[in-house]
Amino acid sequence: MAKYLTRRGDGALIEMTSEEIMSDLEAGTADAADKGKIAPLSKDDLDILLDIFTNPTRFVSVEPGNEVVVTHDIGTLRVMGDQGNSGVGIPLSRVQGIQVHERAFCADTMELGHIDYSFKPVKPVIAMEQQEMENALLVTILPLFYGAMPNLGLYYSPDGPFGNPSDLLPAGKIQESYEAQEGAVEHAIRDMVYVCERLAEVGCDGINFDTTGAAGDTDFKATLHAVEHLKKNTDMCIEVGMAGEFVLGMHGGLEYEGQQLAGLYCHDQVKLVEQAGADIFGPVVNTKPSKNMPWNVARAVTFVKACVEASNIPIHVNMGMGVGGSPIFETPPIDSVSRASKAMVEIAKVDGL
Amino acid sequence: MDKAEFMEKAAQHIIDANEQAAVKLAQEYLDEGLDPVEMIEKGLSEGIRKLGDLFDRGEVFLPHLIIASEAMTAAVKVLEQAMPADQVGKKLAKVVIGTVEGDVHDIGKGIVATMLRVYGFEVIDLGRDVPIATFVEKAKEADADVVGSSALMTTTQVGQKALEQALKDAGIRDKLTTMVGGAATTEHWAAKIGATFWAENAGDTVMKLKEIFS
Amino acid sequence: MGMSIAHGVAAGMGGIRTAGDLVARMQMARKMRINDAKAYVAKKLKVSPADLSDVHVMREVREELDLGIITSVPGCAKGIEAKVRIAELLDIEIAGVNRLKEKMKF
Repeated sequence: MAKYLTRRGDGALIEMTSEEIMSDLEAGTADAADKGKIAPLSKDDLDILLDIFTNPTRFVSVEPGNEVVVTHDIGTLRVMGDQGNSGVGIPLSRVQGIQVHERAFCADTMELGHIDYSFKPVKPVIAMEQQEMENALLVTILPLFYGAMPNLGLYYSPDGPFGNPSDLLPAGKIQESYEAQEGAVEHAIRDMVYVCERLAEVGCDGINFDTTGAAGDTDFKATLHAVEHLKKNTDMCIEVGMAGEFVLGMHGGLEYEGQQLAGLYCHDQVKLVEQAGADIFGPVVNTKPSKNMPWNVARAVTFVKACVEASNIPIHVNMGMGVGGSPIFETPPIDSVSRASKAMVEIAKVDGL
Repeated sequence: MDKAEFMEKAAQHIIDANEQAAVKLAQEYLDEGLDPVEMIEKGLSEGIRKLGDLFDRGEVFLPHLIIASEAMTAAVKVLEQAMPADQVGKKLAKVVIGTVEGDVHDIGKGIVATMLRVYGFEVIDLGRDVPIATFVEKAKEADADVVGSSALMTTTQVGQKALEQALKDAGIRDKLTTMVGGAATTEHWAAKIGATFWAENAGDTVMKLKEIFS
Repeated sequence: MGMSIAHGVAAGMGGIRTAGDLVARMQMARKMRINDAKAYVAKKLKVSPADLSDVHVMREVREELDLGIITSVPGCAKGIEAKVRIAELLDIEIAGVNRLKEKMKF
């Protein structure tokens, strides 16, 4: 029986028969359908996925005419950053890094980001970010975002002024935990709005809120309110990229416009992001390293397809390391990456990556 | 109420995080002269197990889990009155857990610690940004059965490898179960550094430890 | 880094080699879905949507309209100069362009 090369979720190479691949695809889509209470992929979709995974070539791509917009996060850290940012340590300036992406890496848009890639640490050095953005905007043609993470974890001790829910909750201090998280939300909104408005002043094309929800529903709430404010007061494009397929309920009781935030999956997250006024949404589906790539891709495509169908704004699915069907490996293998890309474009019908 | 009904209601009271109802039911159960150990294992624990599933699916949230664990603790306390002395307060194993030095991410690790306590493990949570030496000292001091470490970043996961070596150098690695977790980690990584196992999430951690210690 | 390039090669429009930046601008400015954004840009450039990803077509179009091209040719629009033309062609606001116009009063 013929076997096909594919990978585990951690990037290790394995062989599977087409029956095994199909079984994995069916299980992956069923898992997403069950968790998200959404439709599984159709037989036709699964057949397309099977074709993708049984294609013997190393690299696959979308058919001509199906190309989509590719946006980038993490700024230029992948070029001049360290391992922690999956960086390759080439000491380019950030403006040079952006130009390299524009001219050598076929980026459709690009992003400026700080080495400490969160809004809170950027606030005291905003003048530096403004001048860098001004310089970059003068010498580049492609649209240029500024990216940072809401990262509400920085507002809790030891880094911030509020008690840490990770300490308060296990100690049974539930009410104190709620108060700390609600306080952090207000501070984060203030800081994110401040940073983004300063960047709007210098002509920034857009803001990318990256890994929204990483610290749970508090993170998501702060971002939605910041987006709402920015859309009313600036002309910038706003992209909201998430941290996981559902919003972790660190608080559990936070709402936006009457909708509870904890537990929301991609197709419901996008509705609130749209309501807040954002222009682009970046859903995230985390890869499970213990499962094979067919399972992971089928699962990710199922979630994202439902998101695309629910959305009125462009969907740019996150496909970095360990998300969107990409393996969890520092340098994700291109055979897996290209298969995940093709699947997202041609089955989930995303508007961009 | 027959035993099956008691078990079902006990599980539901835990799922509902209703401490008052769980405690009242535990007392009523004892008044019937039924086996308290069975109630813990098949009634209350079943509630925790279902709650764990709901948490993984994003249908219940962390504060609810904490309140439910308090309800479980209160109900178990009632049942312990009728248990043999050697069974009271018995924990499945002693676990020392923390996020490795240089890494301040601890949401996932905190959830693991909570779930382990709920499932009957004694947990010593060292917090975040924990030096390797502290893991080793605490494991010795507490006479731990398990040492668990979390790392979210590729730059800090090397601390998990260093921890394995430090435990060997301290002469205690052989008597320990070690587990690694965190977004940067995989099964391959655990095997590479010699950890006993890798856990994908809180539910996976509980399942793997229960296989070893139940 | 290799992953990002792999995504771009597998599924991306190609940036300023083609019309990727232009289609992206329509998504950003008017929340257009991919096919609508392509149709809009294609109409403005007087090409077919399929041509938007074709380097052979787009190189000439970009050169003729001076929208910025991928290789560095002296005299061809670069940076903000290209964006002034892009904003006009696509009938969109580009903040950096508006800022320049306001400061230079043109």
